[in-house]
Amino acid sequence: MTAAPASFVTTPRSDVLSWITTTDHKRIGVLYLTTSLMYFAVAGILALGIRTQLARPANDFISSQTFAELFTLHGTAMIFLFVAPFALGLANFLLPLQIGAPDMAFPRLNATSYWMFLFGGLTIFAGAATDEGAASNGWTAYAPLSEIKISTGLGQDLWIVGVFIVSVATILTAINFVTTVFIYRAPGMTMWRIPIFAWEMVATSLLIFMAFPALAADLLLLFVDRHLGGHAFDPAFGGSAVLWQHLFWFFGHPEVYVLILPYFGVISEIIPVFARKPIFGYTGLVLAAFAIAGLSMGVWAHHMFTSGAVDDPFFSFMSFLIAVPTGVKFFNWIGTLWRGSITFATPMLFSLGFLMNFLLGGITGVMIASPPIDFQAHQSYFIVAHMHYVLGGGSLFAIFAALFFWWPKMFGRKLREGLGTWCFWLLFIGFNVAFLPMHFMGLEGMPRRVYTYDAGGTLPLLNLIATSGSYLMAMGVLLFGWNVVVSAFDREPVDSDPWGANSLEWATSSPPPEHNFDTLPPIRSERPVFDLRHPELDPSALA
Amino acid sequence: MNRLQWPGSTTAQAALMASNWVLFLWVGAAVAVIVWGLILFAVLRWRRPRSVGADVPLPPQFRRNNVLEIGWTLAPLAIVMILFIYTYRAEAGVEALVPNPDLTVDVNGYRWGWTFAYRGGPTVQGTFTNPPQLVLPRDETVRIVLTSSDVNHAFWVPAFLFKRDAIPGHPSAFDVRPERLGTYEGHCAEFCGYAHALMGFSVKVVPPAQYARWRGGGSL
Repeated sequence: MTAAPASFVTTPRSDVLSWITTTDHKRIGVLYLTTSLMYFAVAGILALGIRTQLARPANDFISSQTFAELFTLHGTAMIFLFVAPFALGLANFLLPLQIGAPDMAFPRLNATSYWMFLFGGLTIFAGAATDEGAASNGWTAYAPLSEIKISTGLGQDLWIVGVFIVSVATILTAINFVTTVFIYRAPGMTMWRIPIFAWEMVATSLLIFMAFPALAADLLLLFVDRHLGGHAFDPAFGGSAVLWQHLFWFFGHPEVYVLILPYFGVISEIIPVFARKPIFGYTGLVLAAFAIAGLSMGVWAHHMFTSGAVDDPFFSFMSFLIAVPTGVKFFNWIGTLWRGSITFATPMLFSLGFLMNFLLGGITGVMIASPPIDFQAHQSYFIVAHMHYVLGGGSLFAIFAALFFWWPKMFGRKLREGLGTWCFWLLFIGFNVAFLPMHFMGLEGMPRRVYTYDAGGTLPLLNLIATSGSYLMAMGVLLFGWNVVVSAFDREPVDSDPWGANSLEWATSSPPPEHNFDTLPPIRSERPVFDLRHPELDPSALA
Repeated sequence: MNRLQWPGSTTAQAALMASNWVLFLWVGAAVAVIVWGLILFAVLRWRRPRSVGADVPLPPQFRRNNVLEIGWTLAPLAIVMILFIYTYRAEAGVEALVPNPDLTVDVNGYRWGWTFAYRGGPTVQGTFTNPPQLVLPRDETVRIVLTSSDVNHAFWVPAFLFKRDAIPGHPSAFDVRPERLGTYEGHCAEFCGYAHALMGFSVKVVPPAQYARWRGGGSL
């Protein structure tokens, strides 16, 4: 019997201390992913609390204050502690492998980022243990509501400090990604041969450079207001309540693309594998990513159409324009499916679910980019529906696609496909049952962030349907957890390339050794592993 | 589903917003049907049958088509340009302020209630336990000047298809011309603390003569 080859998981030093002190990008990636999934579980339970309270009108399951804490922590955790850091964790694991590098450019900075992320998140949640409870002003924490005159509790301070720490960690990681992709590529890996996922992470990192400093400044100003006698957002002393919104959304809208561009990358990796075709329109996809990133810096005030304080037509026009590169991406994905030889493994199911859900989120996005529609839809459940179709139906489905797709590479065994298919259908049906009715709630006149609503009309029925959908989703997530547990006992070994995939991470063993590659295949296109499997095809001859 | 039809007859401004909504609804529906259709068609048409193993020959390995790609960049561009022109005109109509409104009401939002101060007339105030009513004459242009005395609120009348934020230190004005009699619910739409969900009000649109009687101190 031969011993299993040493991998990054089973190095001679595989005790707890070695994980705490690790600077290996794969281990940091796994830590990031695990931590972000734990925050996801907590944020998901909070969402169930919200939906349970809203299952009936005038329900008294939880108090108004608890409800406000729940939606604040739910939004904060999903955005800052799950959807974004999951992408950072995935990129941590994948980027060096995909470009043929032994590690990230700055391994210790990388570890620093992870630990800041972990403790920043715990700081936010620590507010729940204080006398006046956790922060309760929504993930947007609008001033002056979040000023100390109104929000006296320590929970708001812990929220500010925690989000600040996480945002600094995010900036540091973005520096690491850009440096790694720009200068650590293997010989032959030109920029026009890096996988689409790597391109999307470069675009994401550039957005992080531009957007997160504005958030950090916003948070610092609020902290100065609260504790050091500042008046940045206090109109009584010449401050401006509108300033908070400008700084917040100057970060907040690019942030939306920080939350989705990596997942455009994920499904751009997965669809070609299960259609057995090269990605269609590689150049167009890359250019579209940068067009989206560029335009997204000029659309922030579409969150402020109803403020009466911004030039609505300008921001409306810029927002409409974003639909163009996003449409290009959609057509490129369809072009990849076109005339393919398509199979439906779980990662592909989730990728197709992404396409179906995200399309609706994109269409409602164009609708609310029209100020005369936004005047009605803004801050209503229509917005809740829209953003969940983007971040839940979109990003979350891509996250599950990524988990099923790269799980064998990370841990050397596949998640079970049968359970995975059930997980997909529970989540897909549950998601649409939960969130489709919210469009109609919003049009019916239900504002967001309310803990109770009137018993008349169709709102009680719509809310009950939405709540039942959220429970279905919870079952899907539990099934995923069960899948993780049972598949851990599977002993069937996974070879380096269980899916018949394309990019370089599939050229090394599963899980990879600590130094990533013993040998590198020749890199002559954006899918070197495909070229290795099909030596009869000349990559430069493919039109 | 009936909520997909927006009530366009409540105010002159709502008519503009409702027709803009209808345009977006139809364009959105068309895009959804086409793109969902293309995805489902491709997936069903080119699925690999279970009976074939993994050894089937590779499908055609094409990777670009410049004409198609330029086409599907320009077509959405044209669509959003048209949508923008239409939306720009609708919005200009909704946000236009007449030089001399028939009536001006200063609306103040606070935690947790509303004050409706009619210029040269009565002031109505009410909290979330006893929501106030804004009485408006039909077919007259009403200027609402909106502000807040503490945190951000938003003045939303769903039946009027319109809301505007009430921001402390940043008053803003809009005109509304009610065209249909009736009583309409209003909410605060910007989260403002624990009683946000209860911070309602109502709008009652009455004939001008009845409004004048009420304003003079009579009952409705």
